[in-house]
Amino acid sequence: MRILPGTLLRATILIALLVILTACSAGPGDTYDPYGDNARRIYELLIPIWWMALGVFIVVEGLLIYAIWRFRRRPGSTAMPAQVHGNMQVEILWTIAPAIIVLVIAVLTFRTQAENAVMPEDALRIKAIGHQWWFEFQYPGLGAEGKPLVTASDMYIPVGRPVTVVLESQDVIHNFWVPKLAGKTYMIPGKTNFLTFTAEQPGIYRAVCAEFCGEAHALMRFRVIAVDEAEFERWIDQKKTPPAAPVGTLTVNGLTGDAARGQAIFLDARKQCIACHVVEGTNARGLIGPNLTYYGSRQTIAAGVLPYSPENLARWLREAPKLKPGNLMSRVLTPQWIRANLSDQEIADLVAYLDSMKVSVALPPER
Amino acid sequence: MAIAERTAGTVSIPVVNVRPGWAGWLSTTDHKRIGIMYLVSAFVFFLIGGIEALLMRIQLGVPDNTFLTPDVYNQLFTMHGTTMIFLGLMPLNVGLGNYLVPLMIGARDMAFPRLNALSIWLFIFGGLMLYVSFFVGGAPNVGWFAYAPLTQKQYSPTAGVDYWIIGIGLTGVASIAGALNFIVTILNMRAPGMTLNRMPLFVWMQLVVAFILIFAFPVLTVATIQLLFDRHFGTRFFLPNLGGDVVLWQHLFWFFGHPEVYILILPTMGIISEVLPTFSRKPIFGYAFVAYSGVAIGFLGFLVWAHHMFAVGLGPLANAFFGAASFLVAVPTGVKIFNWLATMWQGSLNLTTAMHYAIGFISMFIIGGISGVTLASPPINVQQTDSYYVVAHMHYVLFGGAIQGIFAGIFYWFPKMTGRMLDERLGKWQFWLMLISFNLTFFPMHLSGNAGMPRRIYTYEADMGWNLWNLISTTGSLLLAVAFLLFLWNVVTSIRRGPIAPADPWDGATLEWAVSSPPPVYNFAVTPRVRSRRPLWDQKYPHLREINSGHGMSGAHNESEKRDGFEHETSPAMEPIHLPSPTYAPLIVSVGIMILGFGIIYLSDFGLIAASAMIVGLLIMAFGILSWVRISHVDSPHHAH
Repeated sequence: MRILPGTLLRATILIALLVILTACSAGPGDTYDPYGDNARRIYELLIPIWWMALGVFIVVEGLLIYAIWRFRRRPGSTAMPAQVHGNMQVEILWTIAPAIIVLVIAVLTFRTQAENAVMPEDALRIKAIGHQWWFEFQYPGLGAEGKPLVTASDMYIPVGRPVTVVLESQDVIHNFWVPKLAGKTYMIPGKTNFLTFTAEQPGIYRAVCAEFCGEAHALMRFRVIAVDEAEFERWIDQKKTPPAAPVGTLTVNGLTGDAARGQAIFLDARKQCIACHVVEGTNARGLIGPNLTYYGSRQTIAAGVLPYSPENLARWLREAPKLKPGNLMSRVLTPQWIRANLSDQEIADLVAYLDSMKVSVALPPER
Repeated sequence: MAIAERTAGTVSIPVVNVRPGWAGWLSTTDHKRIGIMYLVSAFVFFLIGGIEALLMRIQLGVPDNTFLTPDVYNQLFTMHGTTMIFLGLMPLNVGLGNYLVPLMIGARDMAFPRLNALSIWLFIFGGLMLYVSFFVGGAPNVGWFAYAPLTQKQYSPTAGVDYWIIGIGLTGVASIAGALNFIVTILNMRAPGMTLNRMPLFVWMQLVVAFILIFAFPVLTVATIQLLFDRHFGTRFFLPNLGGDVVLWQHLFWFFGHPEVYILILPTMGIISEVLPTFSRKPIFGYAFVAYSGVAIGFLGFLVWAHHMFAVGLGPLANAFFGAASFLVAVPTGVKIFNWLATMWQGSLNLTTAMHYAIGFISMFIIGGISGVTLASPPINVQQTDSYYVVAHMHYVLFGGAIQGIFAGIFYWFPKMTGRMLDERLGKWQFWLMLISFNLTFFPMHLSGNAGMPRRIYTYEADMGWNLWNLISTTGSLLLAVAFLLFLWNVVTSIRRGPIAPADPWDGATLEWAVSSPPPVYNFAVTPRVRSRRPLWDQKYPHLREINSGHGMSGAHNESEKRDGFEHETSPAMEPIHLPSPTYAPLIVSVGIMILGFGIIYLSDFGLIAASAMIVGLLIMAFGILSWVRISHVDSPHHAH
């Protein structure tokens, strides 16, 4: 083994730098690619710390490698090195040096922390509630007759206006994370948390639950859809009006689904949908599952398991237990139950109905 | 060279009735045998934890993989964390400490040999109970941190969480008893002349860790017992809708959990502080700073627990306090690293396998320390916490740091424990393979974490930009497995055919090298007398003795003392050697406690059967305690003569 550790470490550093460079193409969850003020301030705090860290890394590893190379025992050497026990001045120096570095970092940290803790009075308040395993969003006072406007899985926000998310949980602890807009905040049963951020550009942002919350934790995702203020108002106006009576047909997997028939199936208590789901303006008033009003405009199905499409929705209705193990709906929609109670034609009708409820909003680009 | 042999003729060598074969191990109270049992059983658990990690890495190698179901994956990461921390790293350190602390301080055994035996058995049975859960309805699947209320019966109905509570409980009792044993041993049983400031740094760190343990572990025990009562007996400590508080669990857990990190890392820092001086042929640079920075780290460890909770919403003031306290940890840690570098500086570095691992520890621990700084900063923390960045950070500390430190210790002390040398060449191959594959496995996790990959997910989407990093990690983890197989091969072959180890193969300075390899059952025929931090060097290199005695911090010593080595003692050495007899009592008590534990788990579901099991367990335990009392009475030195 004549390879010197130095050569290897240098090679490791080189490879690491190359890898970092190739990583510059930002993915949809990249914290180094901020689009919100909260995430941007964190990123801007990270940069100087990153350079300090690199400096410390190079100095200390450099000293280590130099020491190994310079002081390695030569073959046959029996020399006894000088027996140095310590040196008080040097000790004090290298006790103070790291203390100064962390003091600088602490000052920078507290400045950013103070900025990110500000909650402006005029911020738009949105209540976000964690459920196993999906996110519910309520816009207080913005629904019909001053009631909250309720939706799930897609959180619409206006660009350029501070948003304060009021975070709660229905069951276990969840964690609200939109990497490109803001840092994480827990959603805790029995406690209310607040997170304020402003989206700086329109976009559809990926977001997840970041705290382990049970079997399907990995499949608990949502989208934040930041649109300009006028578009946001248009979304609210449409969303607070109950959907019109469904008309039209839709071809799903070769079957022609009828929206009106689909609504009848949806509202049929024997089909179980209304036990858990709400559609505004109908007698579907179940509060256990996500609110399905204007479901046809969702970006994803089952909290980010599949991208939204009528075909995927049909697949979800048939294969919920397989697609999202442990989810509540799969306790009812077992394969046996579906065989007995829900024909492919009925599924096509249901899909046609849910897909018929759409709001018209100009969607921003995916970030 | 070894003193014990040279003077042995003048004292009565004790007749020690060690039982042959398995019985000898089951009934042993010898700290060396118990140390080896710790090391072997912990290494087995460690390998199991490694296999769990490999299965997870295979699942995450490609996006949308279906190799594991989510529930199995969740069981695996829970068991991986629990195993590595409670059944792997901790007992590996305890094993080394058990074997070496009495030897290093010139004692014949631990202060409480039978309590020591109880600790090993409770640890083994606690670990086995945890693993029984796989076969009786599923292992715990709530994470090693077990956040409430996910652990409540309505969300986690299997007995997995109950096995976790009882299993951790048993190992916790073992650890607390062990810690008390270490404290009493180190404070009371040092050889004459070994002041606290002449103790080997490994012993110092074991002492600090023992104190951390007795303050931290009871908190975990209380919290888990509360959880047990919530799940079975109608309390509501952690039930939010009934007046309980789920954040309380996090405070209790991390008040234990953060000091636990130092319980894992400090002993390995002690190992490094032994290995580096030996192979640099120099004393440790700044002994007092290295020792007291360990004390400082242990103390600060109790003030930083909420940095695991920055996203919980404790408020800016609390977060600022815990952030600042966490930054402070960088100071004593930096001091240690600089002192290690200074120890190597101008030394004569003998790059043995153990030295490779010691240097590997420093180089990787630096990365883990640096990545910890951003986690200590509350604003940055909320982006990085619960992401793969934390997985990377924590493995650089506990694998790049602690595991490499333990390997340094194993390659250093294996000859002492077995009387055989490990293969150095194979050991260096293992080192390089491990260093490279470790970095392949864990470095990309910094990047996937900052690219938004959360922890504890069994699957991920293909378009997130994480695919490459995960594939590299999985590849690295498979290579890591090869490195561990090399080690196993090395141990198995060296134990049979390795070169015979002399008493002092590395030109060591501390007392364990003064006795034969492996040491006699009584360790020292004559209690050594210590006059400096490097007692064996005083004897081997008398011309260095003057500068050897330690500066500043060392205890009082006068000129006449300095002229003597520790070997010429007269009257105290003639005392007869007294050793505890072998006994099954601790094993019996442990079996009783384990059966009691099984009863508790099933008490609320199968009342009568479980209650009977508990009574049987208590009876076995009572029988064990009775025979314990009897043997300790027979054994007492006053009774014996």
